[in-house]
Amino acid sequence: MDFTTRYSSQRLGDCDMTSRLLILGLNIVVLATLLGAYGLIVGDNGLVGVSASMGLVGGILVIYSSAPVEPSISSLVSYTRTLVNAVTSTLEDLDLLDSKLCSIRKRDLYLLVFSKVPCPSRVDPGIGFTGGSPYLAIPIEPLSIETPGLSSELSDKAIEDQLRSILVDELSICKSVRVESESGFYRVQIIGLHEQLREFVKYPVDPYTMITLSTITQITPMNCTRLINRVNLPDGILLVTRVERVAE
Amino acid sequence: MEYYSSLGWKGLQSRVALFTLLYSFMNALSATTLYLLGEVRVDVYVSLNILAYYISYAILRPHTSSRRVRVLNGALIALFIVIAGYRVYEVLTH
Repeated sequence: MDFTTRYSSQRLGDCDMTSRLLILGLNIVVLATLLGAYGLIVGDNGLVGVSASMGLVGGILVIYSSAPVEPSISSLVSYTRTLVNAVTSTLEDLDLLDSKLCSIRKRDLYLLVFSKVPCPSRVDPGIGFTGGSPYLAIPIEPLSIETPGLSSELSDKAIEDQLRSILVDELSICKSVRVESESGFYRVQIIGLHEQLREFVKYPVDPYTMITLSTITQITPMNCTRLINRVNLPDGILLVTRVERVAE
Repeated sequence: MEYYSSLGWKGLQSRVALFTLLYSFMNALSATTLYLLGEVRVDVYVSLNILAYYISYAILRPHTSSRRVRVLNGALIALFIVIAGYRVYEVLTH
């Protein structure tokens, strides 16, 4: 159930390939530099041309080594499918299909909570009761990001930058992210969903909602982010969220 | 070659691995051919390299939404336009 932890461990396999690509690219750049220096010394412009071409290849390989590779998406799809199956059947059993979804920070623990009580304060990982209603709390490990400082007022630009960094640059699962804020509400518009992940937005849990909620909870001074509404767009989704403070 | 042999066939199935293989092969072929033909203009090597990149990219489409790759694509096309523009300018002024 620990979605992001398991996903991160799967990504280690991809890191092997990307680190090899990085080493290969750097080696080619070094060789190209030496060849270019030799070409300049002996006055052979042909060798300089070959070295420039080699250097470009090395640089491109270095850039591609930092971009996400396909197995990352495959493992994300695989674990999302597993999570959706498990969560959907559990929510059915608990009669929580029409529940509210929120992300709560309890000290160093981040929980994704399905409950009919909005932002319940006393929850532990797993299944339990709070406020006379059952809940399902899934521990998640947010992707590592640079927090802009929890005491500072959170701007929509800061959230947009963090979400773009994760969803577009790190995972490459959408094309753009736009965030607008209004009196504690954040409207997160995610455009250009990855074709393999698009099908999950109709289920109770999907990677876009999970990552968005956990990221906002991670960087906001409040410790609870509640999903108010989720609207499917022709080429994306619109998430309306609200940050609140609950007793830990 | 050691990199690709260590990846094995499963690794080669990745589009990125196939892209790097095709791009490197096309680039090695073009650079070797140009050098053996006695070409000394550096920009010719670079422009053919960029062409090889775009041909490989168009065939295999390794990435579509990564910002780094989009920036790289923009930078390479800008460099190619500068090189081609310079050559056209040179032809027109001589």
